[in-house]
Amino acid sequence: MARVLVVEDDAQTAAEIVGALVDHGLEVDSAATGPDGLLRAAAGGYDAIVLDRMLPGGLDGLGLLSTLRAVGVEVPVLILSALSAVDERVRGLRAGGDDYLTKPFDFLELTARLDVLMRPRGALSPETALRVGNLEVDLLTHTVRRGGQLIDLLPREYRLLEYLMRHEGQVVTRTMLFEEVWHYRYDEPTNVIDVHVSKLRRKIDPEGAAPMIQTVRGSGYVLNAAD
Amino acid sequence: MRLIDLPRTTSFRLALLFVVLFGLSSLTLFGFLYWRMEGFLVSRVDDWLIRERIDFLREEPARLPLRLDNRARNAASDERIIALFDAGGQRIAGNSVAFPQQIPVFDKPFEFVLPKEDGKDRFRGLVHRLPSGSQILIAQNLEEIQEFDQVLVNALIWGGAITVVLGLAGAAGVGAGAIRRIDAVTLAIERIVQGDLSSRLPTRGTSDDVDRLVRVVNGMLDEIERLMQEVKGTCDNIAHDLRTPLTRLLGGLERARRRAATVDEYAAAVDEGIEETRGLLKTFTALLRISEVEDSVRRAGFVPVNLVEIAKDVVEFYEPYADEQNVTLTFRADIDAAQPISGDPSLLFEAIGNLVDNAIKFTPGAGRVTVRVFHHDRTLGVAIEDTGPGIADAERDAVLRRFYRAEKSRSAPGHGLGLSLVAAVARLHRMELIIEDGRPGTTFKLQSDTQSG
Repeated sequence: MARVLVVEDDAQTAAEIVGALVDHGLEVDSAATGPDGLLRAAAGGYDAIVLDRMLPGGLDGLGLLSTLRAVGVEVPVLILSALSAVDERVRGLRAGGDDYLTKPFDFLELTARLDVLMRPRGALSPETALRVGNLEVDLLTHTVRRGGQLIDLLPREYRLLEYLMRHEGQVVTRTMLFEEVWHYRYDEPTNVIDVHVSKLRRKIDPEGAAPMIQTVRGSGYVLNAAD
Repeated sequence: MRLIDLPRTTSFRLALLFVVLFGLSSLTLFGFLYWRMEGFLVSRVDDWLIRERIDFLREEPARLPLRLDNRARNAASDERIIALFDAGGQRIAGNSVAFPQQIPVFDKPFEFVLPKEDGKDRFRGLVHRLPSGSQILIAQNLEEIQEFDQVLVNALIWGGAITVVLGLAGAAGVGAGAIRRIDAVTLAIERIVQGDLSSRLPTRGTSDDVDRLVRVVNGMLDEIERLMQEVKGTCDNIAHDLRTPLTRLLGGLERARRRAATVDEYAAAVDEGIEETRGLLKTFTALLRISEVEDSVRRAGFVPVNLVEIAKDVVEFYEPYADEQNVTLTFRADIDAAQPISGDPSLLFEAIGNLVDNAIKFTPGAGRVTVRVFHHDRTLGVAIEDTGPGIADAERDAVLRRFYRAEKSRSAPGHGLGLSLVAAVARLHRMELIIEDGRPGTTFKLQSDTQSG
């Protein structure tokens, strides 16, 4: 089971985050101050850290993060902040953060992003094809086939599908899609993404077949092999 | 205004200071004049004395007494006296005067006093000793010079008095004017403090220094009034707009408490509650975002961006949605519109996206929405033109207010914060958000002056 460390000073927020992560099937530890968080994080054994930007105890989130990175701890870190200003975000990522989330946030957003962060990174050999069920994507020629049948996709649809397939079985939220496929970020993207997803759905699911892209209640999608 | 306040006013003090300075400079000038005048008169007397002395030296000593007596007899006045005395100081001839008691130096002019019937006379003269031992006194009465002095001093006193009176009156007048003005401004400020935000400070229309200050303050008051109204409007609207979902939420929960019997029914009620709460959270997030965007610190995150690229991305993003709504979405850009500007790409995308979203939403089927990036007359911007029903003139300003929803669009989905966000993004980028009548439909323009960057 994946282990996550939550460093958050507000007890109630911490309890809610821990609760949501435990419900998501993670093993969770928490720390309430910067020094405590640093000690636990440095001790290792975590697959990801959820780190509040503002912390008491003389060591704030970014300080903790820089220290961790300086001593060579490469565990993925997701920064939480009450500020969504772009430079805040840039500063967070520059300090070694892997992702950034602004409060208040949906817990679905948090768990979805954590799942992506904790995805085993390895596979250094360049992939040339993705395959989920009978859906195949050739990463070199950008051709898509389902059950051998060629599917014609627009470039953006192709990238949407590629992203969903790379995260097979994981929930990805609209915000994540918007960020990864369109390269713009805002925390409350419109439902227009749904239109893109349903268009993609219509193209990849042949008449009568089970839909591969499922809508997750709230604001996300998940792509699974159709059974 | 109270008289006691007068000496405290800056203008009064300034006027007073000028009176004093003017007085001092006049006094200096007058003193100098007096000194030079006196010197001039005395030197004239001395010239005469020396001329006469030389004249008498040329005279035969024996004829001197006769000539002096003749002169004394024929003279119209005893203004100028010449008399001969023996070595002991006894008068021999000439004007009948006493010999001065002390003579500092012979042949040099000096001043002395001689008694006369009603007091004494001041004289300036010189004494010359003749070879015979007798002495000749030549002198001029200084009364005339003294009279002249008197006139000069009187003129000084009167002139000074008039200057002081006029100066004080002027200072009082200026000070009173200033007090009246400050009183008027104070009164206006007190009215404003008491809550009459529509009141403004009075101006004279003379563009003087106070007027300039007053105008700046009035501008500030305009802005404050606008903000206050916006805050009030926002509060009213928040309260109004949040009451509906909160009431629904409460109603749903109460209904579940009352009626739900099975776990499924409870679950359904909870799901409904979650959905409502999510909507509420969304509204709050939107509100927070607007105030955050309005915080200009965010400019620190600006990078060079290209409006054409962003607008193209927006159009591409909204194309499927427009298709679905049966609206034709087209994109055009002026050839020289692809200029880099400084901005936040995500915010610009969101702002243009919001405008496109609105345009599509409010354009009926088979309508057209055009996104055009233009650059002409030093103005760079994006225009979003639709063929929808248009916005009534009266509503054009109102649509920019938070939570405002035009009458025709009450039923459409959305929280009424979209255009406020667009306006905030525009302000952040020093752009203007303009709403124009598109005849038919509406044109929204986001534009900035390329000169000012």
